[in-house]
Amino acid sequence: MGFLENQMKKVETLFAKGKPLAKLYPVYEALDTFLLTPGTKTQRAPYIRDAIDLKRVMISVVVALFPCIVMGIYNTGYQIQMASAAEHSWATAFGQGLQKVLPIILVSYAAGGFWEVLFAVVRKHEINEGFLVTGILYALVLPPTIPLWQVAVGISFGVVIGKEIFGGTGMNVLNPALTARAFVFFAYPAQMSGDAVFVAVDGFTRATPLAVAAAAQRGTSAVAALHQAGYTFQDIFLGFIPGSIGETSTLACLIGLAFLLITRVASWRIVAGCFLGLTAMSSVFYFLHGAGTLALFSLPPHWHIALGGFAFGAIFMATDPVSSSATDLGCWIYGVMIGLLVVLIRVVNPAYPEGVMLAILFMNIFAPLIDHFVVRRNIRRRITRAAAK
Amino acid sequence: MGTFTLRKGRNIRIKGAARKEIVQLPLPKQIGIQPSDFKGLKLRPVVKIGDRVKVGSPLLEDKIRPGIRIASPASGTVAAINRGEKRALLSVVVETDGKQEQEAFEKIPGLPSHLSREDVIRILLHGNLWPVIRQRPFSKVADPHDTPKSIFIHAMNTEPLAPDLDVILEGQQPAFQVGLHILKKLTDGELHLCTSGEAKSKTLTQASGVQKHSFSGPHPAGNVSTHIHWVDPISKGDIVWYIEAADVLRVARLFLEGVHVSNRIVAVTGEGAQGHHCYANTVIGAPVRSLLGGHIPSGMRCLSGSVLAGKDVSEEGFVRFYDAQVTIIPEGGKREFLGWLSPGINKYSFSRLFVSSFLRESERSLDSDKHGSDRAIVLNGIYDSLVPLDIMTYFLVRAVLAKDIEEAEALGILECDGEDFALCSFACPSKTDIGSIIDDGLALIDKDE
Repeated sequence: MGFLENQMKKVETLFAKGKPLAKLYPVYEALDTFLLTPGTKTQRAPYIRDAIDLKRVMISVVVALFPCIVMGIYNTGYQIQMASAAEHSWATAFGQGLQKVLPIILVSYAAGGFWEVLFAVVRKHEINEGFLVTGILYALVLPPTIPLWQVAVGISFGVVIGKEIFGGTGMNVLNPALTARAFVFFAYPAQMSGDAVFVAVDGFTRATPLAVAAAAQRGTSAVAALHQAGYTFQDIFLGFIPGSIGETSTLACLIGLAFLLITRVASWRIVAGCFLGLTAMSSVFYFLHGAGTLALFSLPPHWHIALGGFAFGAIFMATDPVSSSATDLGCWIYGVMIGLLVVLIRVVNPAYPEGVMLAILFMNIFAPLIDHFVVRRNIRRRITRAAAK
Repeated sequence: MGTFTLRKGRNIRIKGAARKEIVQLPLPKQIGIQPSDFKGLKLRPVVKIGDRVKVGSPLLEDKIRPGIRIASPASGTVAAINRGEKRALLSVVVETDGKQEQEAFEKIPGLPSHLSREDVIRILLHGNLWPVIRQRPFSKVADPHDTPKSIFIHAMNTEPLAPDLDVILEGQQPAFQVGLHILKKLTDGELHLCTSGEAKSKTLTQASGVQKHSFSGPHPAGNVSTHIHWVDPISKGDIVWYIEAADVLRVARLFLEGVHVSNRIVAVTGEGAQGHHCYANTVIGAPVRSLLGGHIPSGMRCLSGSVLAGKDVSEEGFVRFYDAQVTIIPEGGKREFLGWLSPGINKYSFSRLFVSSFLRESERSLDSDKHGSDRAIVLNGIYDSLVPLDIMTYFLVRAVLAKDIEEAEALGILECDGEDFALCSFACPSKTDIGSIIDDGLALIDKDE
């Protein structure tokens, strides 16, 4: 690697102190360490270090998102073909999906990246890899029809207000990608929700499964309503339904989950907690359902798991280590509460058929409080031990 | 009596273990005593350049408690008193004369059962051997005016490539037993002997008059903090003393023979010490170079102690006072093309983000490369599985960074030492020096008191 190393050294002189590009040193640094490992040596004990670094961790999350990205692109195209009753082919579906999705991903990365670089330059720190994940997560939870300027505005809000004003990566209270989505969701509801935004064909409307289930008559079966609207469990589980780009396929999310658990990047406690909480709460509603209850009461737990962005949220959003709970017990509580809240918002709050985003953001705020009580328990143990002598 | 099997922690298997064979090395031409080894002491030299010293003669003295002195491990002439910035004392170097003449001290033959606690303290101070006793919290040299609630004999080590106490203590049973008798007099509480579950040496297994505890499990099962935490944990206001098992022998011989023993068995380890891997019988303060036959290959990092808890003393450095190990590892710093993308068949990681994580674990060649840039802590869940104490590492670190002393104490910082978190620093993807942060917190608290 001698050649590349020498070339980078030459480039570095342009960014040296006193040179016109000195302020942009973080950009050079990011490129340099992207191409070549930093090669710094330890100065203090321990003198050997693990091969892992934050780049590797963040890249691995992006790798885990690959099934969702591929499936999202394909499904976007597939929905277009279904809506326009065009002849179906894998390749064209993929191509059409790519046309819609790629610009969203690129704009998300470009706009968010701009803010990342700006803050790194002003604060004189290195550019954080965390944005590689935020940028793609955000793109995957948007409807394919969203105007690109809204993509840019949303991610700007998420990065600046959701993360940087708290001090940057590692300091944020809320998940930046979800903060960005929440912003566009409330600022531009017409482009973010409803029946017209999830299939990228002008003038075409089709209610999402959750909207269908929410709109069903009181006392009727939600599953029957879904079947009537042409949604089968298989389609929902595999992800061949209208929805936000990357979150429709529960299967793709589960493949990503397997990767995250094998590599131990995500907390299994949080994911398990989410699924447990959701199953428990939806079972309660399921057993309560009767003639006078909302139709969503009758939706069995496995449908709840497959519907909406639950799997995506539980696996990729709730597990963000910075904004989630940092204690083992806390992770369980945090996860279970998200699961409970998702069902609660879906079933009893007719204003928001989808509750995943709000449930996670809500628990993000509570995570420090949960940790506080877990930590107090540890402190109390120590006081009891001292007093027992 | 207790048997503790710990699950948290991790052993790092690196190349370069010492052969279990004690090799007598010639007396080095120079020895060096470094004041930075003695936490809690403010040392000033009591010798001048050119002064003649014997083994056991004082070289340095504590300014605050003048009775505490550091002895010369060799006879000869004071060759240099090295000072650094702001005249901070770096080292006192003695040119050896090869005679190893002994300073004569009071001799107490037989079992010293008639001695009082005051007698023992007086003889240890007088024999310039007091600094072998350290205290927790703060890991500093013990204060003779304190009364510890218990004393721990540190008779195991789980650091990477650490010396095996069985080898060092083999055949020393009578002296070790006398040493235990003497130390028992220093406390009204218990004397705890903490050994490895696999200890075989009779010196350890047949020791009597002590509470014996055996610890099994991965590193840091052998750390002093781990032993204290599980056997007799300390709270605010408690003081516990501890001493290395090898130093118990020196205590015994000071009483029995009236001599200040300065020899030390040092395990020579690490990939860079190829050809010299053994247990070297040398003296305290020996130059690292002398353990490697006078020649250190280029591009090596010379550590006194282990890769996890040691200190970079450089090629010209001396073995630290409390260390019984040197580790020589290759320097890192090679830059790799698109390293974040490589499958990593040869990478060593606790995580499972490399192909190597799924291969059979074998002895690794690890260098001093940091493998990444400094970042804010993101993965905060990895620390607790590496610390076998009831300590919430991430929250303790946050309390220290916020300089919230009260919270740090409530979270148990007084039970810890930076070395207990070496594995956390090792495994942190953000390359956070957890151990240094804890040490800084302890220093801050110690200064306030």
